[in-house]
Amino acid sequence: MIKQEIKITNRLGLHARPAALLVQTAAGFDCDIKIAKDQVEINAKSIMGVMMLAAEYGSSLLLTFDGTDEQAAKEAITALFANKFNEDF
Amino acid sequence: MFVIKGVAASPGISIGPAVLLPTADFAVSNQYVEAAEVKAEIVKFHTAMEKTRRDLDECEEKLRSSLGAEYANLMSMHKMILQDPMLKDATIGKIKNEHMSAQGAIFLTLKELAASFDKIEDNFFKERRNDIFDVGKRLVNHLAGDKGAFWAGIRRPSVLVAHDLFPSDTLNLNEHQIIGFCTDLGGKTSHTAILAQSLKLPAVVGLSNAAREVKDGDTLIVDGENGLLIINPDRYTLASYKKIQREVKKAESLLQTINHLPTVTSDGKNFKLMVNFDPRTYTKDNKKLITDGLGLLRTEFLFMNIPQPPTEEEQYQTYLSVAKHFDMRPVTIRLADLGADKLPSFPLDEFDKDDNPFMGCRGIRLLLKNPELLHTQLRAIVRTACEVPAQVKIMIPMLSSVEELRHVRKALNNVLEAFAQEGKKPVNRIALGAMIEVPAAAIALDGMINEMDFLSIGTNDLIQYLIAVDRVNPEVAHMYDPCHPAVLRTIHQIIQTAHQRGKQVSICGEIAADVKMVPMLLGLEVDVLSVTPRMYLRIKNRIRNLNFESCSDTAQAALLASSSEEIRSLIEQQNQDEDS
Repeated sequence: MIKQEIKITNRLGLHARPAALLVQTAAGFDCDIKIAKDQVEINAKSIMGVMMLAAEYGSSLLLTFDGTDEQAAKEAITALFANKFNEDF
Repeated sequence: MFVIKGVAASPGISIGPAVLLPTADFAVSNQYVEAAEVKAEIVKFHTAMEKTRRDLDECEEKLRSSLGAEYANLMSMHKMILQDPMLKDATIGKIKNEHMSAQGAIFLTLKELAASFDKIEDNFFKERRNDIFDVGKRLVNHLAGDKGAFWAGIRRPSVLVAHDLFPSDTLNLNEHQIIGFCTDLGGKTSHTAILAQSLKLPAVVGLSNAAREVKDGDTLIVDGENGLLIINPDRYTLASYKKIQREVKKAESLLQTINHLPTVTSDGKNFKLMVNFDPRTYTKDNKKLITDGLGLLRTEFLFMNIPQPPTEEEQYQTYLSVAKHFDMRPVTIRLADLGADKLPSFPLDEFDKDDNPFMGCRGIRLLLKNPELLHTQLRAIVRTACEVPAQVKIMIPMLSSVEELRHVRKALNNVLEAFAQEGKKPVNRIALGAMIEVPAAAIALDGMINEMDFLSIGTNDLIQYLIAVDRVNPEVAHMYDPCHPAVLRTIHQIIQTAHQRGKQVSICGEIAADVKMVPMLLGLEVDVLSVTPRMYLRIKNRIRNLNFESCSDTAQAALLASSSEEIRSLIEQQNQDEDS
């Protein structure tokens, strides 16, 4: 199991498009991926879960990867956040 | 190509495009279902999911061509909602744990999800609840279904695929070009099976998830002979099934011409041809067959899917109705061959699931460990024999030693004595014999044959045990070979041993109904073949067209062969000679 803390750096936060991108990326891996914000933890493969987080700019998230391909999943998903979901803001 | 194994409900082969019956209507007020329907509701939900997904695909395509990619992406959000584990897990959870109907469960899940979105302060996300309800509406619409339009929409001969078929649906089958059907639910005795037989439609039931695997327009083969549904067959399979379809039709027309004729070879050698009888699949056409008797009545089905073993009375009623049908001819009842792949649903003494079930506690071994089961079954059989003029024969499954035979003989004598005290006596003496399917019984047959009245070779298991090959293991299944020299030599040895003591031998395995193997079995001088009713006339026809002397020559040559390949070419050779 890998835990990784991450800050949201794109200005609009996890709105529809980044949320969709995140869920699509997560769904490509076998491992369980959870995202926690404040007291709420959700399944990163659930679009509704990610939207419910309503993670805005500057909020910090705790990501948990658990499964055989957890390392690869961690790299792919942290890369999404680092690239600000390919949005030019 | 994809094959699903189900239960053969009605014989024949149908080939055609699939049409899927929409799931049943139900009132919105019907929020809860019976525990037994939970599985069906989950299938309904999955079907609705799949149909909704296809809707969304179509929508996306239309939007892409009319408004462009930006708008089409809106639909991918809907698709993600549809596939969201939160929606799926919560709905299935409510069906499974609370026994809600699929429709009720979706409603409640949507309501809960919408409530969580309402709590979100961000307006953008708040508005997404509309997306969720839009997807939900599509799902619910698919669950409701519209059947009138469905039937009217069938424009070519088609194979109907349904989760279950209701009496209200059945009227539509003949009117709307349905040439065969298959269902997820149902067994051999279900109303759907009986219906299919009366309509003479090939049918396979009990497929569990066909309604989910098949899509409208898929090419389907319904193999009502072997209980198979083949989805999108490859060219080779399709061609071979078309050939079988023609043969099935041809065999049906033979019914009229050779049914009343004796089973005799072209050079005048007589054989007996009997049927393996399963009362659950005995159709009107089967009843018209003129046979030499009942060669194998399997009784396991009486013990399956019920909470406790069948009573003497229940068994008696079944045996009585079967025996009456055969008037004065022999009726061979095999003691319950439970164990291995046929596990009863009620608990048994000293019975744990085996790691190696085919070599474990099955057949007579299981009955001797559960003497009350054996006793009840023997009583039911003896009671039948006191009532009918048929010659009742009791066959022991999985016999491996003479001690087992003696135990059963003793138990049978006790039962006969008890009946005698009530002043009851079988009309004909009851014969006690065995199924020879364990190699030990075949090899040591001469030591026990004097204590049995008859014997039958169970080739299915005998081949499996002789070659030490598990037929259901795909790694070795190809090694299961009726033409292996060891198989023919063992059959030959059994028949020779029996004939030396003046006893007849029958064969009741699948090999007896194999048109190619029949000449070999005749050549080995088997006395009786017992075959499934649907093959009965085909095998009779085959025997009537064979020359016994030539069968003998082939068999003698085969006994000297060192490989199955050699044996196969001998069989081919003879087939060609017969044809020319």
